[in-house]
Parts: sequence; structure tokens; C-alpha cells
Amino acid sequence: MGIAIKALMKSPWVFHISAGSCNNCDIEILDCLCPRFDVERFGIQLVGSIRHADALLITGAMNRKSAIRVKELYEQAPKPCLVIAIGSCACGQNFFRDSYHTVQSLDELLPPGAVTVYIPGCPPKPEAMIQGVVKALGQLAKKKDEPVTAGEEKKES
Amino acid sequence: MDSERVVELLNKSLGAKIKEISAPNPRRVYVTLDPADIVECARTVHKELGCRFNIASGMQMQRDFEVLYHFAFEDDTPAGVVATLRVHLDEKAPSVESISHVVPAAEWIEREMRELLGIEFRNHPDMRRLLLAEDWPAEVYPLRRGKPWEGKIEKKL
Repeated sequence: MGIAIKALMKSPWVFHISAGSCNNCDIEILDCLCPRFDVERFGIQLVGSIRHADALLITGAMNRKSAIRVKELYEQAPKPCLVIAIGSCACGQNFFRDSYHTVQSLDELLPPGAVTVYIPGCPPKPEAMIQGVVKALGQLAKKKDEPVTAGEEKKES
Repeated sequence: MDSERVVELLNKSLGAKIKEISAPNPRRVYVTLDPADIVECARTVHKELGCRFNIASGMQMQRDFEVLYHFAFEDDTPAGVVATLRVHLDEKAPSVESISHVVPAAEWIEREMRELLGIEFRNHPDMRRLLLAEDWPAEVYPLRRGKPWEGKIEKKL
């Protein structure tokens, strides 16, 4: 297991991108971090800069303006990074799919295989989010030397 | 303060400008006005009667456009009464005088209605684009009836 993956699994720092969500998923993310669920005891910490992040939490259906930002932020994140789509909107745009101001969905926007975990729900429960992150980390542990995200990252290693 | 008292107040201060007035329930009053009188009436309601400007809303109806300006009387009762000033605008070229010179809070909602419904607000101080993306085509108003954007925008970034 590479040092980068080991460090990522030890304490995945997360960066929260709200790409035009209704704020419900965002409130539930904050719930995870608050004392009731307190994911910080597992080393999961919310960070203010994308450069420090190991995982991106993306909420919302993404509109024409925010999708550009999401793509930019993904490109700025140090790899390997986990991309966690939180909520039905981020997973498949929900009923906003045919709306006038949405573009393609998150997994079509980012490179193929970039999205690691989909956590559906409107909003998903904090338990579901924690389970999603645990599953992503489990996936990492199994893959050993391979980076989590498939696709373009694979070529680099 | 209940709706009967508000009707009385409005009848006294707006007088002959009122085309129609109704109070469907104790908390709501609807006043229909001529579009030419809206600035004068908004000034009276906002400045003289001391109402708070809540929000304005625009709608495309069967034969015309409707703009509703919602003002709240909230002096003594906790919930207060909402008085709505309603104007009907021409379907082909909806246009009305901007009230943002007398009610500055209306500036952004008028910009939004201009963008999404294509209602022209004459003499608005700053009619830049507010919500839609920079690459959104002009003269395509997404909240008009049907799907006016279809075939005019690319659904992919």
C-alpha cells in the first residue's frame, strides 16, 4: 500500500462542494461532523481548501454555472481523491434532469470512474453517509497499490 | 389589524386608482391596479402606510402576464396582513414601470422576473443578468409556458 493511500485511509480530509443543492444534504453533512455522529474521531475533517482534501463531498444537481466550478475543483484536488456524490441530485440529478438550467450529471461531467461512491436519499441519513465513506475506504484497502479512482489516474501510476 | 381594516385603509389612500379589491381571507388582501399607477401606489403603500415590501412575483396567465407586489402590514398583530398589488400586462410585450426607485428592495426581484419571464421593467437602475449563466441566449425566457429553451441550448458543457 502506497504512502498516499495509507495517509488517505488514516484520516480522509473532506472538502464540501454544494453545487446548487437545496441545502438539505449540506445540513446532513454538517450533522455528521457535529457531536452526535462526530466523524472527526475517525480522522474525517472538513477542510477549507481543495488543496488539502482527500475526498470531495458533492451535493446538488449542478446547474450551468456551478458545473464549471465543480469540474475545476475536481481538477485542482490532489490525486488520489475520493469523489462522494451525496443525495439523489448529485447521483442522477433527480427530477431536475430535464430542467432548463442543468447540464449533464456528475458522473458524465467528471472523467469516467471518478465518482467513487453514490449515496442516494433526499437527503441521505448521516448513517448512510458514514457507511458510504466506510465502503469507499474498504474498497481502497482491497485494491492495495492501485489508486481508488480508475480512468486517467491509472495511467499515471 | 385584519383584512377589513386594511381594505378600509387602502380604499382611503389609493382611492380611485383601485380597479378591484378583495379580501379572500382575514390575512390577505388583493388589489388590482392599472399598470400606469403602480409606482404611485407602491410609494403610498410603502412610504405612507409603512408596509414592508415582502417580494414580488410574476406569472404567465392564460391571456396575459401578472405581476404581484406583496406588501406586509405588520404593526400590531404578530402575523399581520399581506396586501398584494396586482397588475395585468400585455402578453406580446409585457412592460411595466420599475418600482425600485421608491422600493429599493424590489430591484433584484425585478431583474429576476426580467430574466426568467421576459417582463420589461422600464427605468430600472441596473438591468444586468442576475441568475442565468453567461452563455444563456438572450430572449429565451425559461419560465414561460411550454419549454422555450428546447433546441436553443446545449445540455452538455
